[in-house]
Amino acid sequence: MAKVFLNGQPVEHPHEVHEHISPMSTYNGVIGALFVLTGLTFAVSFADLGPASLTVAMVVAFIKATLVVAYFMHLKYDDKFHLFVFLGTIIFVGIFFGFTMFDMKSRDALNDEQETFVRWKEQENAGKGLVVGVDNVPERRAKVLAEIEAHGGGHGGGEHGGGHGGGEHKAEAKAEHKAAAH
Amino acid sequence: MSNEHAHAPAHDDDEHNPHLAHHFDTMGQQTASAKLGMWLFLATEILMFSGLFLAYFILRMLYPEMVLEAHEHLSKWAGGINTVVLLTSSYTMALGVRSIQLGDVKKLRLMLVLTILCGCIFMVVKYFEYSAKFEHGMLPGKFYSAHLHGYEIDGLPHIFFGVYFLMTGLHGVHVVIGLAIMLWMFVRAGRGEFGAKNYVAIENTGLYWHLVDLVWIFLFPLLYLVK
Repeated sequence: MAKVFLNGQPVEHPHEVHEHISPMSTYNGVIGALFVLTGLTFAVSFADLGPASLTVAMVVAFIKATLVVAYFMHLKYDDKFHLFVFLGTIIFVGIFFGFTMFDMKSRDALNDEQETFVRWKEQENAGKGLVVGVDNVPERRAKVLAEIEAHGGGHGGGEHGGGHGGGEHKAEAKAEHKAAAH
Repeated sequence: MSNEHAHAPAHDDDEHNPHLAHHFDTMGQQTASAKLGMWLFLATEILMFSGLFLAYFILRMLYPEMVLEAHEHLSKWAGGINTVVLLTSSYTMALGVRSIQLGDVKKLRLMLVLTILCGCIFMVVKYFEYSAKFEHGMLPGKFYSAHLHGYEIDGLPHIFFGVYFLMTGLHGVHVVIGLAIMLWMFVRAGRGEFGAKNYVAIENTGLYWHLVDLVWIFLFPLLYLVK
């Protein structure tokens, strides 16, 4: 009969199906661990861990996900090519997250350095209204503000970073900023 | 085809399996192809959800206080109950796959019913959660009106609830699709279409359902718990 190939490799005994059947104890152990870990995240969420809480929650979630993928989805016993597909996906998600976060974190510093554009710094300047990023670099402030003026006001930054929601909500936010200034 | 192989060894009877499609040589090859296809599909699912997770992380990074304040309005208990329900459903689904690996169609059907039941409980809890959010005007974008219902959330809560509804909504759609597929598998199992050597459809249903569970494993702490 014809030669049988699986994932590009010739198969010696194509008629034998080698599916691993996990014992009940494996499934019981995994679901028990998943419940315990869920309880743990739930309990930890009531404790005030500050910024560490995100790390703790994510570590627990990753352990839970690993258990589900390895035992419920059988990746531990499955064709290694499926593991490759799965981990490949995770790597691409990592690149997606990593590069975006890197950009988010370094953009402010880059803007200051290159005087590229004006932005809305709501967190640092809560209640002070619109503050341009170049305020961090006093010696360049006048020059950049003049350039902005020449290009027709807060173009490219300012309000655009803020609420895109209903007009009603925007008006409210403005009123709030005014109130806070007084 | 069967005449050509009339003298093949006894274990070659694969080729007479009525569930073997003509373009595959063996059941093993057919199963492997179906599973590889499923894993590739799951890869696209993970990438799709990752975009929403990234939106959440960016929102959190830009407006940490607002996300904290808005997330206090989500019910930890509803989320927690749904987590337990969904994990249980993943367990029963895995046992369903195990049952059919052992050729026990009756137990497979029981496990499918239990899994569907858990999925329904999940959707009912979701319904009550969503109703409460609708009632309090905690809605995405221009539909946001919580301030008219006596809830003052600083910052841009309409964006937080946009992310909340998109993430849980897309996940909920996946749960509903999963329920429909399991119902279909229940019917097919009743027709005697599955056995110890032909269960890849059940296994792929399981893989899909576990992915839905995986997404929730990350959604729950991020949206409901994290401070």
